[in-house]
Amino acid sequence: MNSNENSQALRVRGASHSYGANLALDGVDLDVATGECVALLGPNGAGKTTLVNLAIGLLPRQHGEILLAGGDPRRATTRRRLGVVQQTLGFPTTLKVGEIVAGAAIRAGCSKNVAGPVLAELELTELAGRRAAKLSGGQRQRVQLAMALVADPALLVLDEPTVGLDVPARRRFWDLLARRRARGTGVLVTTHLIEESAAVADRVVVLDHGRVLATGTPGALVGRLPDRTVTARTSLGRERLVLLPGVVSVDRDGEHVRLTTRSPETLLRVLLAEDPGLSELRVEGAGLEEAVLALTSGAEVAA
Amino acid sequence: MSTVTRDGLTARLFGVEFLDELRAIVREPTSLLFSIVMPIGMFVLFVSLFGKGNSEFGGPVGTQMVATFGTFGVLAVALLNPGTSVAADRNRGWLRAKQVSGVPVGVTLAAKVASALPYALGLLIAMTVAARLTGALTAPPVKLLAIAGILLLGALPFALLGLAVGFVASPNATAAVLNAVLLPSAVFSGLWMPLEIMPEFVRDLAPFLPTYHLARLAMTPLYGGEVFVHVLVLLGTTAVTATLAAVAYRRGKP
Repeated sequence: MNSNENSQALRVRGASHSYGANLALDGVDLDVATGECVALLGPNGAGKTTLVNLAIGLLPRQHGEILLAGGDPRRATTRRRLGVVQQTLGFPTTLKVGEIVAGAAIRAGCSKNVAGPVLAELELTELAGRRAAKLSGGQRQRVQLAMALVADPALLVLDEPTVGLDVPARRRFWDLLARRRARGTGVLVTTHLIEESAAVADRVVVLDHGRVLATGTPGALVGRLPDRTVTARTSLGRERLVLLPGVVSVDRDGEHVRLTTRSPETLLRVLLAEDPGLSELRVEGAGLEEAVLALTSGAEVAA
Repeated sequence: MSTVTRDGLTARLFGVEFLDELRAIVREPTSLLFSIVMPIGMFVLFVSLFGKGNSEFGGPVGTQMVATFGTFGVLAVALLNPGTSVAADRNRGWLRAKQVSGVPVGVTLAAKVASALPYALGLLIAMTVAARLTGALTAPPVKLLAIAGILLLGALPFALLGLAVGFVASPNATAAVLNAVLLPSAVFSGLWMPLEIMPEFVRDLAPFLPTYHLARLAMTPLYGGEVFVHVLVLLGTTAVTATLAAVAYRRGKP
């Protein structure tokens, strides 16, 4: 094992996995460096769950190499360096918050005393004596994060971590993770909230049909997409707009239109000529969501 | 982070799992209503009505019923509690969370079975007190202890069967399936009523049921008799239910 492998929270090389005749993963490579946040994106059935289950040791490795914090994720000792936040986890309703987090510490091989600081970090101290059955959705999510963080994991795996959280709670969630990442915890997040992942991830990996379609920073992936979005307020009808040169798609909401195009300069010249009353004009690059959609739909994307 | 030996860590893991299970039972005792209150209630009723009659093995029927009804009571706890508990943990994703955290599944399951034992013992004590109060108990404490030891050890294959069902079925389905196993087994093994007053086909069927052999083994401290065959059948049953539990664990979704 070289030093590069030691500095990685997760290293996957050539991972393939089949369920009977169905090939779910086909030679996938994935790295999460210490302190790095990687977003794993792709449509349903892309292979994300299989890849995550291999990474966290719930599935046996069939082909390829998988190292979690330099060790085999199927070994219990290795998994104690892992924190996981599941999308759907229900706590035993009879347990109290403090007992749940202290139990997680003991299961990770730590003293139960390490639970106190984590409860405080997640503003759960006052809830330590409350039964899990009486927690709100946001509180349950924080308890789960406390369980995942209590042993200071090398890798944190998050499955749709902010679903059900309001905007301030989401910000607190990502701020907290930023502090943990600064201490060296690698983060692998799977989510359908693509624009949110663009804001927090260092790198994005797009998976479809069991293969990695693209990997890079969110900005680099968006930059590979030639589409631009033109939004404006116009009196031109949809029938006319779809016939304008270079228009790929038209979304209309009252007088506001959103046009996707690959030649914004030509489109703007024609728009201004045909509608002197054009206002609220704005030209933007496409977002990560459009880039991922383009990649997974097989649309033309720059290499 | 504290450093602990592997054995020490296993003991701590078992401790936290065991404590969580006990908390669940103590804080939500309604879950034990069927598996504890019903056997005790039935025992009190039957021993009050028939306890002072003569057993075909000698002495009052009430003393024999401590072994046979005791078998039913321990079975109800051992079969239902670990099985429904593991099904509930699977259903809410808690079993998966524990697996991911590095807890060996054997430790989790051992804690589930072990946490049911104090309740099974409490059930036996309650039955013994009831039999004593009705004047139907003639066995000395040492023989009653032997019965308790046999039943608590002999409950293992049935706890494994409960786990096997809990690994593949939903919590409600697990309870339904295990009750569908428990109640006929109790009737056809003579746990509620002596086999001697049952129809001939029931007497013919009983020796094919492992529950019958556990009840007969539990009666040996009182009346003596065959041990080897009963032990052999229970060991064979343990091998079968352990295999079923292992297969169900691998096939079931954590």
